[in-house]
Amino acid sequence: MIIRSLVLLALALVAEIALWVQLGTSPGLVLIPVALLALLQVLVLPGRIYRRWGYDMGDEQLRVLRGFLWRTDTIVPFNRIQHIDVAQGPLQRLFGLSTLIVHTAGTHNSIVTLPGLATADAEQMRETIKGHIRQDMI
Amino acid sequence: MNDPSASPLADDSAPFQRLHPLSVVLKSVGTLGQNLFVILVLHFSLFDQNIFYTALAATALIALVVGVNLLIWSRFTYQVTDREIRIRSGLLNRNSRSIPFDRIQDVSLEQKLVSRLLGLATVALETGAGGGEDGQLDALARPDAEALRDTIRDYKAGLGTAGTEADELSVIADRPPLFAMDNRRILIAGLFNFSFVLLAVLGAIAQNFDFLLPDDFFDPRLWLDALPEPETIDRLGSWARFGGVLAAILSLIAVGLASGIVRTAVREYGFRLDRVESGQPGFRRRRGLFTLTDMVMPIHRVQAAVLQTGPVRERFGWYHLKFISLASDSGGETDHSAAPCATLAEIDPILEQCAIHRATADLAFHPVSPAFWWRGAIIVTLLLAAIAVGTGFLLHQGFFALILLALPVAGIQFLNWRHHQYALTDSQLFVRSGWWRRQCTMLLRRKIQTVDVSQSPLDHPLDLASVTIGIAGGSAIRPLMIRDIDLDQAMKLRAALINQQKRP
Repeated sequence: MIIRSLVLLALALVAEIALWVQLGTSPGLVLIPVALLALLQVLVLPGRIYRRWGYDMGDEQLRVLRGFLWRTDTIVPFNRIQHIDVAQGPLQRLFGLSTLIVHTAGTHNSIVTLPGLATADAEQMRETIKGHIRQDMI
Repeated sequence: MNDPSASPLADDSAPFQRLHPLSVVLKSVGTLGQNLFVILVLHFSLFDQNIFYTALAATALIALVVGVNLLIWSRFTYQVTDREIRIRSGLLNRNSRSIPFDRIQDVSLEQKLVSRLLGLATVALETGAGGGEDGQLDALARPDAEALRDTIRDYKAGLGTAGTEADELSVIADRPPLFAMDNRRILIAGLFNFSFVLLAVLGAIAQNFDFLLPDDFFDPRLWLDALPEPETIDRLGSWARFGGVLAAILSLIAVGLASGIVRTAVREYGFRLDRVESGQPGFRRRRGLFTLTDMVMPIHRVQAAVLQTGPVRERFGWYHLKFISLASDSGGETDHSAAPCATLAEIDPILEQCAIHRATADLAFHPVSPAFWWRGAIIVTLLLAAIAVGTGFLLHQGFFALILLALPVAGIQFLNWRHHQYALTDSQLFVRSGWWRRQCTMLLRRKIQTVDVSQSPLDHPLDLASVTIGIAGGSAIRPLMIRDIDLDQAMKLRAALINQQKRP
């Protein structure tokens, strides 16, 4: 989110300079509203999104909730999962986190990701799911 | 060609084979066809219509194309063992791919016009991984291609590689097809396949070949001069002018109809759907006027069936039956067309084969929330109002009339809402959608992969949600969705869909 805000700010800066050079508008016309938006994005949204972000390991299925404005609630039955990844980015490694990625055969939603799990949890979930995968369910 | 590195497995002893030598000709013709245009352009522009230079350039091009294709051909080998097929290809980057027979979804043979003349066929193997062709042998002699297909089929049946082809063919010849289209039916299908593609093609041709037209062809003044004097038109009277407009509209419609018929005939000519028994039971579909395709799809891979129709077509009782499976159809279609234009009585036996049933008359369909249309209508009206006010004040007062467009748009949305319904039975989920492009998706519940319940910011105040159902195959851009139903209704529906999964 911070990265996205920085990108937004950079874009706004470019637009600002372009407008300033081309039309001679007063400085701050674009930059200030965008900066406010970016601040909002950094301060408010992550908390909201985090609160809405959840998962539930059922006996037979994995449920993933995400999104604050656009909410999605996905259920993947274990026996539909084709293969599982546990991925770690450099930042995640710094904090000991992992992303669990499950692949299904569906065309829509073929990849369901669940970021920000403690690595040990992610690996344990992988083992649980692995037990349920059966051969050739398509 | 070096032997495969000594391997302990006995089945590796199968020889590496090359594609049919004539495939070089086939590919060259294809590439040359694309480059013919370049030569033509060069002939008229750079070479100043000097036939000698053009011939020289053409010869060089042919040599280059044939040479490259020959090299590619010499480096392309494949090996059919009794469990998998291995393909080695690549000039600089050597690529070796092995496709286990177990993972092959369907095998299709395709013969374009040139390959039919040369007696060749392209074998396309679909594994369903990430869409697209996964293994393509372009091209083999037709008997070899058929033998390869039968090898794969026999493997799946657990039979030896003894020649069952002859039996198979005689069985098919004896039995009537599941569905076939004669020329009259193709004509009917074409009538409903109304399109302006031909018009677009003519336009594109006119654009590309404009150097053949007089220089001032696109100069409006020329055309104004060519028109009769204004007085002549005035004298024609209102009826004649009305007639002129009518004739223009009619000719447009005629072009649309004709292009629909031509397109349908080229694709569907000789359409024939059979059930094949040897190996896994499957559907075999043959069609095409110039490009012959021959595809076999195992029945148990069918995920869902889609019945498509339109307001007019439904009145006449014609439907288009498609199957959704992991592999995608050739020619960019995501679903396998199983009966392009058929009556319900003809479709039922086909559906019977894959244990899918049509909705019975007494099955109660649930409507979706009326917000489906009024919310969309309000948004469109507001947008149109903003545009109308903006352009009306800035440009011309006539633009205020834009707001009137909101009426037909809202009307269409209302009709779409009326036609968006769903129903659940013990084994199937039915979803109907669309007023103009009506379709009814019949999904086997045990084939459901994932279920999403999603809410957009506009859904929260109304407590609505959309249910998206992930199935293997179908379009990734337009997945199967039930839009705008109550949130708790959506949750219940999902619980019902998922619970079904636990039983098997």
